Order: sequence, then C-alpha cells, then structure tokens
Amino acid sequence: MKAFIPLSVFTMATITATAQTRQIKFTEYDLPNGLHVILHEDHSTPIVAVGVMYHVGSKDEARDRRGFAHFFEHLLFEGSDNIGRGEFAKYVEKAGGVLNANTTGDRTYYYEVLPSNQLELGLWLESERMMHAKVDTKGIETQREVVKEERRQRYENQPYGSILPEVLSRAYTKHPYQWPTIGYMEDLNAATEKDYQRFYRTFYVPNNAVLVLAGDFDPKQAKDQLAKYFGPIPKGAEVPRNSVVEPPLKGEVRDVVYDKIQLPAVVQAYRIPALGTPDFYAVDMLNRLLSNGNSSRLVRNVKEAEQKAVFVGSFSLPFEDPGLAIAFAVANMGVDPDSLEASMNRQFERVRNEPVPEAELAKLKVQIETEHAMENTRMAGIANNLANAYTFLGGTDKVNTEVEHYLAVTADDLQRAARKYFMPENRVVLHYLPQAKKN
Amino acid sequence: MNSKPLHTLTLAATLLIPAMMTAQVDRSKAPKPGPAPEVQLGKHETFTLPNGMRVIVVEDHKAPIISAQVRFDIPPILQGDRVGYKDLVGEMLTSGTARHTKEQFDERVDGLGAQVSASSNGIYATSLTDKFKDVMDLVYEVVASATFPSEEFDKAKTRLASQVQARSDDPDQIGEVVGQALTYGKGHPYGEVTTMASLEKVDRKQAYQYYRYFFRPERGYLVLVGDITPAKGREMAEHYFGNWKGAELAVTKDEQGHDVVKDLGPIIPAGKQPRLPHEVRVAFVDRPGSAQSVIRVVFPVELKPNDPAALQAQVLNTILGGGVFNARLMQNLREDKGYTYGAYSTLTSDRWCGSFGAGCSVRNEVTDSAAAEIMKELHRIRDDKVTADELALAKSYMAGSFARSLEDPRTVARFALNTYLNDLPKDYYATYLKQLDAITADEIQQAAQRFLHPDSCTVLVVGDKEQVAKNLKGLSPKGNVIDFDANGDIVRFDPTEGATPAPKGMTAQDVLDAYIKAIGGKAAVQKVGNARLRYGTTVQGMAATLEERFQQPNKYGMEMKVGDMLLQRIKYDGGEKAKVESFMGDKELVGVDLEEMQQSAYLFPELRYPELEYSARLLGIVDINGKKAYRVNVKTLPGGSFDEYYDVATGLKVRRKDFQSQDGGGYVQVITDYGDYRAVDGVLFPFSLHQSGGMEMTLTAKEILVNKGIDAAVFSVE
Repeated sequence: MKAFIPLSVFTMATITATAQTRQIKFTEYDLPNGLHVILHEDHSTPIVAVGVMYHVGSKDEARDRRGFAHFFEHLLFEGSDNIGRGEFAKYVEKAGGVLNANTTGDRTYYYEVLPSNQLELGLWLESERMMHAKVDTKGIETQREVVKEERRQRYENQPYGSILPEVLSRAYTKHPYQWPTIGYMEDLNAATEKDYQRFYRTFYVPNNAVLVLAGDFDPKQAKDQLAKYFGPIPKGAEVPRNSVVEPPLKGEVRDVVYDKIQLPAVVQAYRIPALGTPDFYAVDMLNRLLSNGNSSRLVRNVKEAEQKAVFVGSFSLPFEDPGLAIAFAVANMGVDPDSLEASMNRQFERVRNEPVPEAELAKLKVQIETEHAMENTRMAGIANNLANAYTFLGGTDKVNTEVEHYLAVTADDLQRAARKYFMPENRVVLHYLPQAKKN
Repeated sequence: MNSKPLHTLTLAATLLIPAMMTAQVDRSKAPKPGPAPEVQLGKHETFTLPNGMRVIVVEDHKAPIISAQVRFDIPPILQGDRVGYKDLVGEMLTSGTARHTKEQFDERVDGLGAQVSASSNGIYATSLTDKFKDVMDLVYEVVASATFPSEEFDKAKTRLASQVQARSDDPDQIGEVVGQALTYGKGHPYGEVTTMASLEKVDRKQAYQYYRYFFRPERGYLVLVGDITPAKGREMAEHYFGNWKGAELAVTKDEQGHDVVKDLGPIIPAGKQPRLPHEVRVAFVDRPGSAQSVIRVVFPVELKPNDPAALQAQVLNTILGGGVFNARLMQNLREDKGYTYGAYSTLTSDRWCGSFGAGCSVRNEVTDSAAAEIMKELHRIRDDKVTADELALAKSYMAGSFARSLEDPRTVARFALNTYLNDLPKDYYATYLKQLDAITADEIQQAAQRFLHPDSCTVLVVGDKEQVAKNLKGLSPKGNVIDFDANGDIVRFDPTEGATPAPKGMTAQDVLDAYIKAIGGKAAVQKVGNARLRYGTTVQGMAATLEERFQQPNKYGMEMKVGDMLLQRIKYDGGEKAKVESFMGDKELVGVDLEEMQQSAYLFPELRYPELEYSARLLGIVDINGKKAYRVNVKTLPGGSFDEYYDVATGLKVRRKDFQSQDGGGYVQVITDYGDYRAVDGVLFPFSLHQSGGMEMTLTAKEILVNKGIDAAVFSVE
C-alpha cells in the first residue's frame, strides 16, 4: 500500500519546478575489502537490480592491447570456479531475470535485473565473477570471434559507422581515448593468457568496484548476504590510474573520410572539459541548445529553415578525462558538405557572439528538469545512475543534486564556454564523402 | 549515528563473528530462491465518450509525469503507386495546426519541456505534471486541426527522398525493407516499399485526406498515464475530446464497396493472407565491399493476437531466438560457432497478417554456414520436442519480463489498449502467468509445426555478392539465387554471371543464326507451318500428358490431362484473345498475362526477335551443366528480359532463364533446360525439357508431328 495521497498533495501544492524532481534515497557503506555498496529500496514492483561497476575501461589498456577491456567484459560471462561455461546467463534467465554489461573508455558495468526472491542468486553470480572468474580456450577463441563480429556489425558494415574511431584517432594524440572501446582486430588477436591474468588481478578487485542494489529487498538481509558473498574476496593492490594529460589541440584538424554512402556528412568534434567539472555542465547545456528538440538551433536552422540536412545532432561524450562534444549532420539531397558545414558554423558562431536569451535558457532548464524526473523511474536505470554518480561525479548524492548544476548555469556561463571550447582551433572536422568521389 | 551505546556494538560484533564464520557459504551451487513474490497488475479505468472515443486512465504518482497517447485503430491500406504518403503523415501532424505554425508549435513543445512524437496512427506526448494541461492543448490541436502546410510537406518529402536514397547504403535497412517485400509481397500493404519513383507521385492531399479520413472519434483511444487521478482524466478527456466530431469528408463507394475519398482514392484494405513461397527461395541484394552479410529468413504467418496458440507461439520463439541469451540461435551461432555478435528470431502476431523473421549479421566467409544453421534450427524445433529445461527457462524468462514490464505504469495502459485493439479475452493479462505456466512441450511442437515453414521461406542475404553468393546456391533446392535490388524489386538482368568474354566481334545475332542452322537451317524451319507436340510428364505423382499445338505465325493451344481428366487448357487466337480453362473454372487472359501469352506463342521466336522488337545481347560464355554456352540476354517490351544459353560446340539452345509473375505477388525465376534433340521432318526438336524454379516439371516428348494440320477450334476463343 503506497501512500500516494500525501505524495499527490505534495505535487499539486508545489509549483516550483525543482520541487517536482524526485529524490532517490539510498544508503551506502564499504566492506572491509574496499567494495563500496549502495542500497536503494523500492517495493513498488517485486524486482531487484544488481549492478557492479568496475572502474576500468579502454583508457586503462596497454597501447598494444586496444579493445582488451571490452573483450574482457565478454570473457567474464564465461564462468568461474563454480560456474561452467555458458551457465552464467542460464542461471539468470532461468530465474526469470535479464543480464548484460557494457564498457566505455572509463568503466565496465555488469548488471542483472531479477525477481526479488532471486537476489541471493545475483549476489552469488557477481561475487563469483569478482572472486575467481574462469575462462577456457574455447571461450576465449569464441568470444574473440564474437567481438570481431560486433566490430564489423557496429563500425565497419554501417554507413557512417566509423565516425567515432575516425574522430578519436585525430582528437587525441597522447591519451588512450584515441582508440575506440571496441579496439582493433590485430590487438584482439594478440591477447594472451598473461594479459587476462594481469588485467583481472589489477582491476577486478573489490576496492575498484561499486555494487548497487535497487528495488524490492530487505536491507538488513541484503547486507548479511553481501557480507557473506563478497566479504571473503581479498582486497587488491592500489589500482593504477592513467595519468596521461592530453595537450591542447592547437589548431583545427581537418580530413576527408570515404565511406559506402550516398549522402555526405559533416562531423565536428570539439575538445571539452571532463565530466563533473563546472564547465562540463555549460558545454552540455550548449549541446542541448544546439540540438535538443525541434526548436533547437541546429535542427531549426540547418535542417528546417535552410534544409541543408536530413539529420543533425550534437552531444557530449561524458568522459572522466577531458572528452569531446560531437556535432554530426547528414546532408540533404544535393547539398554539398561545405555548404552544410557553413550552415552549422553559423550556429556555433551565434553561441559565441550572442548571449543566449533568457526565454531560451528557461526552455533548456525545463527540458532538463523533465528529463531528470523521467530518468530515475526504473530500477535498472537507478542502479546504473547511482554507480555512475559514485564513481565519476564525486559522490553518490550527485544522483539527486546533479540537476542543480545544470539549473545554475547562466547565459554568461554559456557564452564563456562557447568562446572557450566551441572554437575552430579546438576541433576536428571530418567530411564523409561517397567512395565514388574518391578519384 | 555514531553515538550508539557500546553494548549494542559489542553485541553486534559477537553476532557478526559467527555470521562471518558461517560465511563459508557453499559457493559450489546456486543459492535457492525465496518464496516467489506476487505480481500485481495495476489498475486502470476505462470509459467511452458520447462520440465513441474510448478513454483509458492509469494513475501512478511515482514520478511527477503524465503521458497522453491518442491512438486510432487504422487497418493497413494499400498506397499503390503513391507509396510513401503514409510515411509523411506523422511528421505532418506536428508541422502546423489551426493555431500554430510549425515553428511556433516546436517552440511551444520545447518550452514546456515536453516530448511529443506522432505517427500515421496517432500522437504521444509526455511532460511534467504542472505542464500537462498545456501539452494537452497541443495534443488536441494536432488531432483535431492539423493543417499539413504545403511548404512543410515539400520539405518533409525532400528529406524522405534523401532517406530513401540513404536506405540503400544501410544493410540493416535493406534487410528490413526487402524482407518485408518478400514476406508479404508488394500487393500487400505491409510489403509496399517507398521508392524515389513512388515519391514522385506522392502529394500533400493524399496524406492530408488520410488523416482526415482515419482520425475520427469512433476509431480513437485516449490513454492517460501517470500523476493523474481517474476523475481528473475524465475531466480532461471530456474537455478536449467530448465534443470532437472528426473532419467533414465526402465519401463515396466504388464497385467493390470500398470507400472512395476525394484526392486519396479508394481505401483498399489488406487482401487475403499472402502465400508462402513454393520452396526455399534464396534472395540476394548485392552490396559490394560489405564487411558482413545480413541474413534474414522470412515468411508470412497466419497468427492473430487472439489466436488461442498465440502465447505458445511466443514461448516457441523465446526458445528459438526471441531475446534470451540461451535461445537456440544465439547459443548455436554465437556461443558455439562464433559466427555473429547476435542471432535472433521474431514471430509476430498481427490482426491482418503475422510474420516470422530470423537473422543475424555474419562475416562473409561463414554466410552460407550461418544460413544453413538457421534453417537447421527451424527444422529441429519442428521435428523434435523442446527439452523440459528449455521450456522452463523460456517460461521463467517470460514471467520475469512480464513482472519487469509492470515497473512502467504505461504497461497496464498498453495491456488495456491491446485488449481492445486485438479483441483479446478480457482476462488475458490477468491470467497471463497462469496460462504461460500451463504450456507443454507438446504444444510448443504443435505451434512450431503450425507456424514455422522452413521448406517454404525466403532466405534473404544482403552482402558482397562476389564473395558470398555462389556458396548460397545449396540452400535452394534448384540451386537458384535470385537477385533483388534495395527496393525489393527483382533484378532481371545479372551482368556478372558471364564468366569469360565471348570472342571479339561476335554478336547475339551470330549465336541465334548458328542455332537456326544447327536445328536444320532457316529454310527448313520456315517450312514448319504447324506442329503438334505431345509430352508425357507427372503431376503430383500421376502420369499426365501435355499437348501443345502451334500454328504459324502465333496461334497456340495447350491441353494437359491426367487420364481423361482435363487439368488445364489454353487457347490463344494469335490476336488479343486468350483463355485458360481448367477444372477450377475459366479465365480470360488480360494485361501482363496476355502479354506473356503473346510472347510465348511462337514456335521458333528466335527467327523473329527484330520483328517482336526484342533486343538481344551476347554477354559472354558461361558453364552450363559442365559445357560451355553462350549467354544471350533478350530484352522485351516493356521492361521484361530473359536469358538464353546456347551450346558453344553444337549451337543448340540448352537453357532459358525467365521470371514469371506469381499470383501472390512478386516473381519467381524459372529455368528450363533443353536436351535430347531429335530431327522431325528435317528440324531438330528438344525431346526433353526440364523446368525448375516455379513448379518443377520434366517433359518427355512422345510424339511430334509437323505440318499434319490442326483443327482451328483448338485456337478459337469464344
């Protein structure tokens, strides 16, 4: 029986938008071995999400093992001392749950969403993965092929699919962000037994992970079970962190990429500050100003008014180290990429040269509030957001307060950020052209 | 928090020690689950407005969000040669209303922080609670007064044309679009494909009239979900839609009883269930330089959402390839063979026509192996019962998905809407888990045998033809790989087949002349004024005779019998009249069928290609049954083409490759092989004909009579 009456009174009575955003309640603590635990209780549906975020991504890879972190993610579904090959997923699905994982430049995230009576199963599985994962030759060789197919499917066989690798390799010269998470075939082929052991021992340790439970569970019982399953896992050595600082771009990088396409495309990638820094919020707001909704500037002008593009978008890559804001447009029929780029540039010039009007800023803020209210409604999403806030935003409570950083951004902040980051000398520009044009 | 009395702490510590000791949990096996939680289906309220519009309200205050959906129950209708106008309806809905231009509308939506999306069957909008009233103003405006401004329509149409062009670069989209065309046929609304050519015939009025015809209260549902009470929902529904009537529209009827709408034409709904192919049909769309092949195995399925076996069909598909990691396709093609990143299947129920699709993307080298494994799995799940383990996993997974879906309050609303739209039993969702639990392995096998058709499906591959196509021949019983373009139209001319070039300077006419010479010379051939050819064959295992009569220049008669029973008789008078008689009734040939008749009525058409305005081209030398043959492509009017193959050594025609239109839409490639040439009155006739592709048939000549006279009645059509 949920107490919805007081809650609805609350929403009716308050008119300020910030009051509409829902607070995600949580408790958190560390196990003696350094595993950070976050618990979020919600009994409205009899399910529970179990998420484990390891603070390791492709930026932690050796330069001749690009793609290893993601490949390793695949291998960690293969089994453990107590779980045979292929059984990991079987346990979860047989219990009526779902499971998956994903890897970025900065972290690797594994999760299950289970019926609430199967929580202990989820804890057992994740503790097995952390304690003594195991993989045999058949598993390694099969997953190597699977990852190669993933690369072909997502990057090589899709029109414009190579954008990210092509951008990254030009936007970074020193930092490991210069290669994509999926990596490269030759490095995947080169990986050996020693690599797996070293990677597992170095990064898959409780002191490099955060575990989140979100959903229908009894916290006392959950804590007991967490201690039982994760307590015996020994703490690892201090985790090495990548300290490479990428020097400024110092001048526009411009290139042409030929692809199996008919409509040309323009990509602009601007170097931006790291996730969680004050300027990041301003830059992220600028991206929304440019392409969030049909009245946004790129959509309204480049696509609608000037009809230069069939699609235009801009988004930030939220990286732990300084990342990128990428604007991407596919040309309308008969539009050449130079004229498309000129049209995009006019919008970037505008944000540099003119302050954003108050009404437009207010629009951005209500969009952000709405997104925030919609965001944390499912257990799987809440678990991920809590883990992310803890690992990258400087504290779990940022899951609730992050929105305030956005709401605090002023028109001045936006123009300052535009003048600092959305500058020609701070960007990589790629024109995607049909292969037929190559000669 | 830190000021706990000491004794509690020590107590906790002492309790903790044994806990830690017993923490030597048995890790060797999975922990047992607790008692299963009860899954509660949330409540919803429904009522009907006086104008017939149904309203569904689901109250859920977890987040300060409300969503509104207005959905119209619209059957799929044929767009015909203007296919594409329907694609534009959704975008046009939000491109201008009686009160707002598109620019103003967009400003308003974004200013409210709302998310609004529209499609050809309605609109969906969501926002914070305190903005929702304003959002409903916009929703109502769209439903009741969208104006489809010409200027916006032209822009949207240009963008759609760009997207259609770009579609042919994307292997997944090609697989999707061509897969639909091959599943349903282009004569079914679901199989229609928007092309650059069809877009030229699309105009604003079609889209606008479509909206005005179908967006009516009696077809409509308003679904409100979230931070709203049923009372408030009712108030809103009445306020906005209580007095709404829909557009005033003059509708007439045509002879078939279809509604005819001005500027849109007759509203023609989906016809009968599309036919399955006669056999496994291998279709290929060439995308040179592809890093992978996109494989799709497709066929139409007779499966409505309220079919008593619909849930069994879902369990069946879960076991085969429906989303679980442990599904057979995933385990076989990914986890065992490492062919793909993911292999899946869908078995979709639909009020008008269900469908099956299985597929994956694989590296070029394993394309044929991967397709063969998919076919193997389709057979296996029909031939053998699924294991108890597989069934249990699929059921648990589906029960779990059901429970998880209820996290979103919109699910309950979707259930209510589905129950109306698909005419489901009222307690379908309330008893869902119970019904699911009761399904047996026998029922799964019955469902597999009823719904899966691995012997009459289309295997579509989008990839690099040069690298992978030849290995796919083995999948087709006749070794045929049929080429399609990215719009799902058959490629009637395949220039790449010619393996080696013909001698320099040689022309198609040289090959045709050599053929006439080989069968007896022009003079002897021209002396054949009429001919009767009687063949023996088998039809469905029974001996049959087929007799053809030709009268120069182009009268034709044919009779096919089993014993004395007439299967089919064809009469063609050499002009505009042709008739097919059979035990199923008589049919006059018109249109394309008459054209095909006119073209095939000549005994020795090779003498008449210029007269018939055929243009023949010599494409090179290829291998036919181990012997070298010239390949001649003949283009006929309008737009047709066939290939002929002439033996290099003997000059004789050994094969003809043609496309015949099928009743169910689309084309089938028919190959006829000629052999056992024997002389009759100084002219060589093939005494053995073997036809494959459509209906497989071997004809053996029993008697060929030349210039013995033929009764004129054979050709006369009354």
